[in-house]
Amino acid sequence: MNFIRLSTVAKREIQRFLRIPIQTLISPWISATLYILVFGVIIGSRIDFLENIDYIDFVFPGILMLQLIAGAFGQSSTSLYFQRWTKVIEEMLTSPLSYTEMIFGYIIGAIFRAFAVCAGIYVVALLFTDATPAHIGLFFFYVLIVAIIFSLLGLIVGLWAEKMEHLTILQTFIITPLMYVGGVFNSIDMLPENVQWLVRLNPFFYIVDGLRYSMIGYSESPLFLGAIFLITLATLLFAIVWVLFHRGWRLRA
Amino acid sequence: MNAIEIKGLTKKYGKTVAVDSLDLKVKQGEFFGLLGQNGAGKSTTINCITGIAKFSEGSISVMGFDVQKDYQKSRATVGLSPQEFNADIFAPLEKILDFVGGYFGMSTGKRKERVNKVLDLFELQDHRKKPFGKLSGGLKRRAILARALVHDPDVLILDEPTSGIDVEQRHALWEYLENLHQAGKTIILTSHYLEEVEKLCSRVVIIHDGKKIADLTKAEFTKNGDKLEDVYLRLTAKAVAV
Repeated sequence: MNFIRLSTVAKREIQRFLRIPIQTLISPWISATLYILVFGVIIGSRIDFLENIDYIDFVFPGILMLQLIAGAFGQSSTSLYFQRWTKVIEEMLTSPLSYTEMIFGYIIGAIFRAFAVCAGIYVVALLFTDATPAHIGLFFFYVLIVAIIFSLLGLIVGLWAEKMEHLTILQTFIITPLMYVGGVFNSIDMLPENVQWLVRLNPFFYIVDGLRYSMIGYSESPLFLGAIFLITLATLLFAIVWVLFHRGWRLRA
Repeated sequence: MNAIEIKGLTKKYGKTVAVDSLDLKVKQGEFFGLLGQNGAGKSTTINCITGIAKFSEGSISVMGFDVQKDYQKSRATVGLSPQEFNADIFAPLEKILDFVGGYFGMSTGKRKERVNKVLDLFELQDHRKKPFGKLSGGLKRRAILARALVHDPDVLILDEPTSGIDVEQRHALWEYLENLHQAGKTIILTSHYLEEVEKLCSRVVIIHDGKKIADLTKAEFTKNGDKLEDVYLRLTAKAVAV
């Protein structure tokens, strides 16, 4: 792996999202602020369902995760799709960049965007709650692993997409619905017992629950298994993306 | 050593054969013309050399490096100026050049030096901060050429480099290309302007339906006072008749 080549791809990705801050940063900050205000402050102040935990503290990790996932996924999928569509990708395809360098470059770009989005939301959250993470190491682990997973998923979609509309399919029909029913706004205990097993099959439940534990020390799932699952998923997705790049699927004629 | 050596290259798109068992050698330092009608297989051949297209039959080596097995080394020796303007329209020209230098593994200092050099060479210094999309057609063409040269490649491949630019700029471009050739670059040129191929190239290969139908030196295609255009039309008409 050549550091100069890798850092160039990463730098280009970072500059790409900084070039359009309203879309990539300000929009998720505003969305998250509204979520925090409406669900956390206005409605949340009337909800008292867990002892010693304010609703805003319970719901904040999920809100953070929603924007983090959208940021990481949007960064890699949109970037790759537009580079294919405008043929700018040929700049990289005709260079000595290895597939690993290209993929890591995209991932690093997505991680930076995810962290920038998180940092802004955190600043807003500090106005309403004491959002200091209970386990800072775990917090960074979850933010990082989720950014990696969704940037890799974004690369798969960025390769697959034939038109703009395709970029939103995964987000609209899978990611957002699974996130909303994966415990962002409610505890699993609030659901009837006969549907709780369904939530436990939802990978987003472990993502949100893990981040929540890292932030407020409250968890409803086996954390270790959840972490192993996320690491395995990231490794598997990386392998799939590498094979697709290596075969030149929808990249090379 | 040959700068480029193609043996038995076949490239298919589904059932369509774009390039059919093509053999081609381009000597180091040669100014070489690759001619053919639209869809003859010129751009496909270039795409196979540069890594934009995959191929399943035959082999290609650039400066002695196999383009599939040794793809990183072979790509490091080639600069491509494609027919289409495939640059980020929102990025300033100097950034585009800097990034491409980075893709080729050049250090920051070296990139700065080379970017300045190619901007000087193509008289683009006044436009370095402008987004690519804001440049005129002629400036874009020069910018694409500058991009192809940032990493100082041994082989320069130019796919229709003068299409869409005015006569004055075309003549200026010929001068740039002649200077590059004098400096030792191997240049492969495809163009529909046969007078520029005749002026610049020392050898031409004509392909038709993906097959090579002629391989001529300048002395051969200009003997008896012939124009390249006449020779080309005669040969392609003959190929169509066959």
